[in-house]
Amino acid sequence: MIYLLRADLACGHIGLNKINNHMGEAMGVEPAEDFRSQAKLRARGHLFEDFTEGEVFHHHWGRTITETDNTLFSTLTLSFNPQYYNREYAKAHGHKDTVVNPLFVFNVVLGLSVEDLSEIGGPFLGVFDLTYHQPVYPGDTITARSTTLEKRVSNSNPNNGIVTWHTEGFNQNGERVIDYKRTNLCRKRNSEKLVP
Amino acid sequence: MTLPPDMQKLTGNDSYFEDFEEGQVIRHARGKTIENLENVLFTNLTMNTAQGHFNEHAMAGTPFGQRLSYGGCNFSVVMGLASQDTCENAIAELGMDKIRLKNPVFHGDTVYAYSQVLEKKDAARDDAGEVRFKHWGVNQDDKVVFEGERRVLIKRKSHWLEG
Repeated sequence: MIYLLRADLACGHIGLNKINNHMGEAMGVEPAEDFRSQAKLRARGHLFEDFTEGEVFHHHWGRTITETDNTLFSTLTLSFNPQYYNREYAKAHGHKDTVVNPLFVFNVVLGLSVEDLSEIGGPFLGVFDLTYHQPVYPGDTITARSTTLEKRVSNSNPNNGIVTWHTEGFNQNGERVIDYKRTNLCRKRNSEKLVP
Repeated sequence: MTLPPDMQKLTGNDSYFEDFEEGQVIRHARGKTIENLENVLFTNLTMNTAQGHFNEHAMAGTPFGQRLSYGGCNFSVVMGLASQDTCENAIAELGMDKIRLKNPVFHGDTVYAYSQVLEKKDAARDDAGEVRFKHWGVNQDDKVVFEGERRVLIKRKSHWLEG
């Protein structure tokens, strides 16, 4: 029995190798001898020069918020309002389900915006004029959009810029659930990196 | 609207709109140490792609020398630490303003929360009022890491504890 199993495995390996070699020849792909030296960085993120006042970013991915997200975030941050994790309590306040912690909604919308706005530029300095427009419930899908409001060179360090965006989050019905303004330090090209 | 009596017992009875006084400053009872569980989890869970929050190796080569905790994580924890005393009986969060991240937070740092009641006012509905708080987050070395304002719609005892 053991011999039989080994024989099966051996056949399986030989079979796979043959298939791989065959595919390689057919597609004309030579394996990279030194894949590191051949690899080109597919860079992500934007720097100061990339931003134009008035430009709109439709951020990637979107995110359906689950009950697990909400309970995990609310309990780990010690957000002790029962509407976030006690469905019966939330319903007694006129909601159809538990209410998603608004701070979680904020963090999801900000998270979706990071690659376009702030992934490589520098740290986030502040958030202003944030309004929660309506509740978000588990199962709602959030998408995000930002507009560049202002860019300027930092007075204290001319290697850096300061950029302010207006970011908005929407639910699956296109209703705006949150909006805020955010300001970040934003590195200029060829200046010293603050973050990787 | 009133809640069934059993449900009224789920939250404290000293954090209704009537209980807050303008100018009052609260030091909240609990602190929290920020680690992977907070920073890396919240950063990745919200698909924040800035690897300075989750790539220790890349950060070793920067002046910080280690991962930086994501600012949204830091102030979410601070606002959470303040929540039982300030918005346990809130109907809704209305907004935030003047959020400033004043010092970095690293894994292993502990944050504590303080709040001040800046303003109380009537709301559009008569069973609740609006309170504007200022919150501060302070680390284990007494450095302010965060400050910001938050507007909350809070139940009035007079309406919600009847019946």
